[in-house]
Amino acid sequence: MNTKVAEAWVEGPLQRFVDEARVRFALLLHPNGQVLGQFGFTRAVDVMAACALAAAIHASAAQLGRELEGRPFRELYHAGRERQIFIGESSTARGPCVLLTAFDAESSLGLVQVYFREFQRALAEAAPPLELLGPPLGGEQLERDLNRSLAILFGRLQPPPAGGSSNPSA
Amino acid sequence: MTSPFEELLTRVTRLRGVLGCIVVGESDGIIVDASVQVGVEGQVVAALAAALYRRARITSEAAGLASVAFLQLEAERGHVCAAGRDGLVIVALTEARAPIGTIRAAMLQSVEALA
Repeated sequence: MNTKVAEAWVEGPLQRFVDEARVRFALLLHPNGQVLGQFGFTRAVDVMAACALAAAIHASAAQLGRELEGRPFRELYHAGRERQIFIGESSTARGPCVLLTAFDAESSLGLVQVYFREFQRALAEAAPPLELLGPPLGGEQLERDLNRSLAILFGRLQPPPAGGSSNPSA
Repeated sequence: MTSPFEELLTRVTRLRGVLGCIVVGESDGIIVDASVQVGVEGQVVAALAAALYRRARITSEAAGLASVAFLQLEAERGHVCAAGRDGLVIVALTEARAPIGTIRAAMLQSVEALA
C-alpha cells in the first residue's frame, strides 16, 4: 500500500519512513490538524478524527512540557496491548509538522525512533520555501483548508503541483 | 551508582577488536546499557540489531531449531554479534580481524548473567 498525500513534497520522506520502519499507520499533519499525508487509513472520517486527536495530544503534551520543564515535549509514546503509538514533531521551512504513527510487533520503538530521525532530516530537505505568509487563518478558512486536504487525499480534488501550497490563503 | 550490566559490558569491550557492546531490549529496541567507542551510532545499531535478532529467533523457532544461541553477521569491515535471553539482547560490534571465537565465548558467558 502506498502513502497518499495532500502536498507532493511530503510523499518521498513519508513513503520511506513507512517502508523502513514497518509501521501500520502513519499520519502527517500541521499542528492545527490539517492533514498533509497518510498511510494505512481507508476512510476520510478516520483521518479527520485521527488528525484532530493527534493535534490535541500534541498541543497538550507541548503545554505539559512547558509547565514541567520550561520547554515543550516534542515526542510522545504510548504502548497498548498489541499496538503502540508514537507522535513526534518535525521542523521544516513550512513550519512544524506532526507525525502520528501506529505500529505493532513487526516494528519497535527503537526502529521507529531511528527512522523518525531520518524522516525529520528528509522532510526538512524536501520542504520548499514558504514564499509568502498569508493572514492568520480564521475558523471558516481553517475548516475549508481541512476539508480541502481531505478531499485531495481521497481523490476528490487534484493535488497542487510540487512546491505549491495547499493553503489558498498563503 | 554502577549499572548491573557494567561487569558484562567490561567483559566484552576489553577484548581486542571490540568497538562497542550494547544491552538492548529485544521487543522495543531501546538501549538498556551500552559502552561504545566514539563514532558508533549506538541507538541505530541497537535498534536494528535487536530487530535482526528477534527475526532470527522467530525464524529459528519456526524452523524447529529451537532458540538462537548466537547470531553473527559478517560484513566487509567487521561483525555484528548478538546473543539474548529473557527479552534482552547483548550486541557486540567488532572489527573484521577481531577474535570472534573469544568474543563469542565472552558473550555466551555474559548471557548467563542476564538471567
